Amino acid sequence: MSQYRWIGKSLPRVDAKGKVAGTVKYVTDLTYPDMLWGAVLRSKYPHALIKKIDVRKAKEKPGVVDVLTHEDIPGLNAYGIINQDQPVLCHDKVRFLGDAVAYVLAEDKRTAYEALDLIKVEYEPLPVVSDMEEAIKNTVKVHDDGNVLEHVVITKGDAAKAFESCDLIVEETYYTPRQMHTFLETEGGVATIDQDGIITVFSSSQYPNRDIIQIARSLNYPEEKIHVVAHTIGGGFGGKDEITTQILLALGTLKTKRPVKMVWDREESVIAGQKRLPIKITLKTGVTKDGKLVANQARVVADTGPYNCLGSAVMKLALEHACGPYYVPNTYLEGYCVYTNNTLGSAFRGFGATQATFAIERQMDLISKKLGIDPLELRIKNSLQNNQSAGLGHMPAPSVGIKDTLDQLKKHDLWVNKEKHLQTKSPHLKRAIGIACSHQGCGLGSFFPDYGSADIQLLPDGSFSLKVGCPDIGQGNATAFVQIAAEALYTHPDNIKVEVGDTRTTPDSGSTSASRSIYTGGNAIVIAARKIRALLIAEASRALQTAPDLLEFELDRISTRDKEKSVTYQEIARRAAERNKVIQYTSTFDWPRSDLEFNDALGLPHYVFSYISEMALVEVNTLTGECQVLKAVVSPDAGRIINRQGLEGQAEGGTVMSMGYALMEDVILEEGEYLTKDLSTYIIPSALDIPEIDTLPVEALEDTGPFGAKGIGEAVCNPMAPAVVNAICSALDIHITKLPATPEMIYNLVHHKTS
Amino acid sequence: MNKINVSLVLNGEPKEITVEPNLTLLEVIRDVFGLTGTKEGCGKGECGACTVLVDNKPVNSCLVLISQVEGKNVTTIEGLSSNGDLDTLQQKFIEEGAVQCGYCTPGMIMSAKALLLQNSKPTEEEIKRAISGNLCRCTGYTKIVRAIKSASEHGREVI
Repeated sequence: MSQYRWIGKSLPRVDAKGKVAGTVKYVTDLTYPDMLWGAVLRSKYPHALIKKIDVRKAKEKPGVVDVLTHEDIPGLNAYGIINQDQPVLCHDKVRFLGDAVAYVLAEDKRTAYEALDLIKVEYEPLPVVSDMEEAIKNTVKVHDDGNVLEHVVITKGDAAKAFESCDLIVEETYYTPRQMHTFLETEGGVATIDQDGIITVFSSSQYPNRDIIQIARSLNYPEEKIHVVAHTIGGGFGGKDEITTQILLALGTLKTKRPVKMVWDREESVIAGQKRLPIKITLKTGVTKDGKLVANQARVVADTGPYNCLGSAVMKLALEHACGPYYVPNTYLEGYCVYTNNTLGSAFRGFGATQATFAIERQMDLISKKLGIDPLELRIKNSLQNNQSAGLGHMPAPSVGIKDTLDQLKKHDLWVNKEKHLQTKSPHLKRAIGIACSHQGCGLGSFFPDYGSADIQLLPDGSFSLKVGCPDIGQGNATAFVQIAAEALYTHPDNIKVEVGDTRTTPDSGSTSASRSIYTGGNAIVIAARKIRALLIAEASRALQTAPDLLEFELDRISTRDKEKSVTYQEIARRAAERNKVIQYTSTFDWPRSDLEFNDALGLPHYVFSYISEMALVEVNTLTGECQVLKAVVSPDAGRIINRQGLEGQAEGGTVMSMGYALMEDVILEEGEYLTKDLSTYIIPSALDIPEIDTLPVEALEDTGPFGAKGIGEAVCNPMAPAVVNAICSALDIHITKLPATPEMIYNLVHHKTS
Repeated sequence: MNKINVSLVLNGEPKEITVEPNLTLLEVIRDVFGLTGTKEGCGKGECGACTVLVDNKPVNSCLVLISQVEGKNVTTIEGLSSNGDLDTLQQKFIEEGAVQCGYCTPGMIMSAKALLLQNSKPTEEEIKRAISGNLCRCTGYTKIVRAIKSASEHGREVI
């Protein structure tokens, strides 16, 4: 019997009805009278100098209202969350095929795109920087200051010395691919301007408040006169965290004084949108003969493409997570983030931990094989525990649930009766079970401002309005906010009217990213609710002529202890209104931090972590190299579960996304040119590819979290890929160091036994 | 370009329009009729977000030219709810947690609807096959399959 009314329940999502009925509007569905369409001319070369841009013919085309270039940027012609190194419209140089060179505003969509062909740009092509190790050498520079955006070294203990005492050292280099978010709703939006000069940008954005800063800076326009609205978003996964269309939309409406709409079609989204950073990780891992981890050395090289976006942060998290959720007393962690002319690298669910997880989990299986130790037991033996330091020497919050998640796998029928599950119908089909663990730092880590805010107000009918800045990008955090508020306010979820992601009305609660929105928004709600309860009690005390400490909350009312008298929330609202008072409060919340900080690696380490283990049953066809994942058992530790169905949805979605990463997904470029431009060449899993998924969560409650909750949005995207690859390697007795493990790769490894 | 006249039945109502012949059914549904429930995910028939029914068969409306639906019955997601009540499929998608970002949802439901109209008791394998052309990035499909199975066990399919 749960102690909570709403926390942990599978409450249906508050926004589901409009979505199944097709009535809710996404930004890409909005239209306005007198609206213009924007279209961007992108670079012809992956790396080139711009000699001349001639837009005259395009401007003369009937239906074209204006064509903008770098000359039309009123403020800073650059943006970027960390470094402002990406031009809004390129001036003298292009650094990847997605670079924006000119911007057409026309009466309709077809005219806008046809006008692009009339723009003449003269380029002087430059050699293309496509290899990350070559980039480090700086033979050809993408940016004048050189290609190494950031270089970090962090150590703990003495790894060099510790290796000398290891019984076994395993050293290997791993390569992870360029994964694409492939949200079903591509990047896009609409911007309007009113007669007071207030610009409103409706955008599919993960952080509207920060967008305002970047828009204001480039438009040289007051922040107070800009609003960004992200009500309903068709998927983000990190690809809508950095600016996509917002600055150009705002610029267009500012210039023309008309509403402007722009939607990237899928090919444009592939070319210009952000991607997961491909990372090369060399790991040297030392253990005792009993399999106890002693030392881990990592060299990470991350390809952030032409501009930083969030690439340097991704590289740092790869270092932070390079030891897995295990106790390793000695580490030497070195990372490079490099510029190239490849794809724009930025945030993608897992944010460096995904890439690092693949590498360390392959290492664990190599160790398991060489020492003859069961792979599950090896991981249990090395599991991080409360009050042990992690890879950077930092102490995670004492809600470390990794061992409990492994125990869930150990108890599951798939593991207990594995011999039965490994039987196949034919000798050319081989099965195996693969295991992997992961963890994920929640929040923005040390140093960076990381805060939340929630506004709660009692409405005249006794219901509450709830406003939190974090947009709902599809995962259902708005529903979780409702449940947390309903619990804390002693009311029914139907009595909470929630609003998110609108800078006109919702308080800045930080981004929806970094597995932080339920923790941050939830904490802000709990704090606001505490204040609201005090205000309700005060009003009730007046109404019932009873001291506050003799009153208690019931559903939608406050009554005396003896239940003789009570007053409803609606009555309280009426009474307060009589005195011209409104019961309302806007709270603030600041993240707790690690006591460790690295001056040369800002943002590390994190304090609150989520943990996860996963087990995959895989069947490989040795004649074709094809791989079918039959079953997945996933045990996530997100602390207190707020919405059970929501948690399962994350576990299932993340499992399948990670499976795609393992088996089929890669944006392939050759010398900066895209070979995979659409969804028939960049393959994501379909309904026919999915395994049966069992989700068995554990709750290692986090003291600092709302009702003990942490975050889980990213961790779920990490372990399935190495679990699947570990299974394939186990089934075929091969060694895979590169993703995706396509049928061609597997076939060649089987038939040529080379790695 | 000379416009053409097209007569069709849209969500049970007869319609006559005069439009340019190079418009796709998706463009007409969204921009001429203003029904934005049907989405564009790729514009090339690779993702299924634009799925609607033409004479009860599922099609990628981004690949159908408007003249091709002359005289035909077109059903969009908006046509599933009658008198404001949700169709069983829609209800089950909500109950089973099959909706996250929701962008694939209309197309997914229309493909499921087409399946249940011709096979009222599909197996799990048949369900997966029927929606194999509808990409979803959020849910991992698990709860979607469960929702369709549940709808097949509980509803009466009338269109």
